[in-house]
Amino acid sequence: MVVFESYRRAVSSILLELGERLEDLVVLDADTGRSTGSLAFGKKFPGRYVNVGISEQDLIGTAAGLALAGLRPVAMGFAMFLMRAFEQIRNTLARDRLNVKVIATHAGLSPHIDGASHQSLEDLALMRSIPGMTVVSPADFNSTRALVRAAVEDHVGPLYMRLGRDNAVHVYDNEDGFRIGGLRVVRDPVDIVIYAVGPMVGMSLEAARILETRGIRAGVVDVYTVKPIDSATITRLSTRTILSVTVEEHNTAGGLGGAVAEVLAEAGAGRLMRIGVHERFGTSSKTYLDLVESMGLTPREIAAKIESALATVGR
Amino acid sequence: MRGDGAPISRLGGGSSPQALRDLVSSASSMLDGAWALFEDLASNGSAWHVGSSRSALNIIAVVFGVWIPHGRDLGVKRFGLLSKGHASMALYTWLAASKMIPVEELKSYLRLGSRLQAHPEAFKVPGIIVSTGSLGQGLSIANGIALASRIDGIPREIAVILGDGELDEGQVWEAAATASSKGLSNVTAIVDRNMTQHTGRTEDVKAKEPLDDRWRSFGWHVITVRNTFDEIVAALEEASAVDRPVAVIVRPRS
Repeated sequence: MVVFESYRRAVSSILLELGERLEDLVVLDADTGRSTGSLAFGKKFPGRYVNVGISEQDLIGTAAGLALAGLRPVAMGFAMFLMRAFEQIRNTLARDRLNVKVIATHAGLSPHIDGASHQSLEDLALMRSIPGMTVVSPADFNSTRALVRAAVEDHVGPLYMRLGRDNAVHVYDNEDGFRIGGLRVVRDPVDIVIYAVGPMVGMSLEAARILETRGIRAGVVDVYTVKPIDSATITRLSTRTILSVTVEEHNTAGGLGGAVAEVLAEAGAGRLMRIGVHERFGTSSKTYLDLVESMGLTPREIAAKIESALATVGR
Repeated sequence: MRGDGAPISRLGGGSSPQALRDLVSSASSMLDGAWALFEDLASNGSAWHVGSSRSALNIIAVVFGVWIPHGRDLGVKRFGLLSKGHASMALYTWLAASKMIPVEELKSYLRLGSRLQAHPEAFKVPGIIVSTGSLGQGLSIANGIALASRIDGIPREIAVILGDGELDEGQVWEAAATASSKGLSNVTAIVDRNMTQHTGRTEDVKAKEPLDDRWRSFGWHVITVRNTFDEIVAALEEASAVDRPVAVIVRPRS
């Protein structure tokens, strides 16, 4: 069974620790601090917390100014509404390579009650299209803490981090071994390889266990750095398996599925099936799992899709 | 670290009147040169957004030729942001006239490979610290620089040059509210009120008036001047003493 952890609790806790160490760390939010977890930072370091109000374009511009002045800003908000500032991210942060970390929470299906208006299924595609943008999407609590630390402490330049709300499916028992630019093989592939991102890493691991009971040896790769993607490792793993699969809580166009498709098509490295949200918007649901199931993204459904795809590939 | 959230007072009073008079006089004569270069450039096939640049040249000369260098006398870091990035003809002819770039280089304006981009890009030319071109974004950036002073204690002042057409962008008003809410008295918005935007008169496209009241209602102090070098110099001097963000509205001379 999958065990849920909280992305926002992870980011909130690590920012508090970083705030102690880094005197130049400034956290900004567009009046969503209660929900993103940034408010804890604001309470502890009120002089280094900026709530610009409900204005995401202004949020990114203000963060840009703080970076120009030599400080280390982290701009937080809901993924969906940060996309209002796509152009500010593109034209100012990316074009001038400013050291601003944009950390989005409530991405994907995680704001399950809020419905389609809040469920961001396009942000990876948008952010990935920007030259020089680094795009990171951690799987669970521990990897979120590790990657926020790496992004804020070690990475210089614009970066987009995609987090959910409280839907981080547990994968890792510690925070070791993550780096911006990396990916991690969490289960070795033999017959097929599943590339997953965010909460779908944990879901895919569970799917792989189901597949194992049917005699299918599926590996799982946590592609937590969506850009720049580790195309060498992906090509190597896909070349020696009979089917590659991507699983993401995102539109299959332009996100992880798009990124892996680009790599595999150019390398001629075999057949790919993309699992994710196909050409549709989200909807309200009392529970996260009901919504995920309606999109065909629970472990059982992932396993079933892979099994039927294998039937057409031949084993 | 200050980080106490207290409003930042402007560094007035430490000014040397003679130093300012010298800057004004030298910038004023460089501005004559800039006008000559401007008309040359406009007539040799490189005219681009000429009207927007023509009304911005006095402002650019004051910000970059007087206000920023005078900040050095006062011990304050001053930054000029050209939010209306399409006024690049004015910026580059000013930079050439003030010997910050070679006059010869103006010939490369808009040409492939030139650092004189249609919309100025960061650090390609002196004085430009952030790329612009997409309207409505400069004031937010100015606010961020201004807020930094509250955190690291380094005195900074920012003048951001906005077009009047640019005020159609909602982000300008997001930022205007941020500046007054946070008490950013070290931010000055200079509005080039040339009454014109891309498809016609501003009041026909989307009304801006009563413009002074709009800024005041957002908590800003407003100074209205005519578009002359001397009046803009005086407005920025006056702005220095105000304990709120200041909008300088630069209206046509006649």
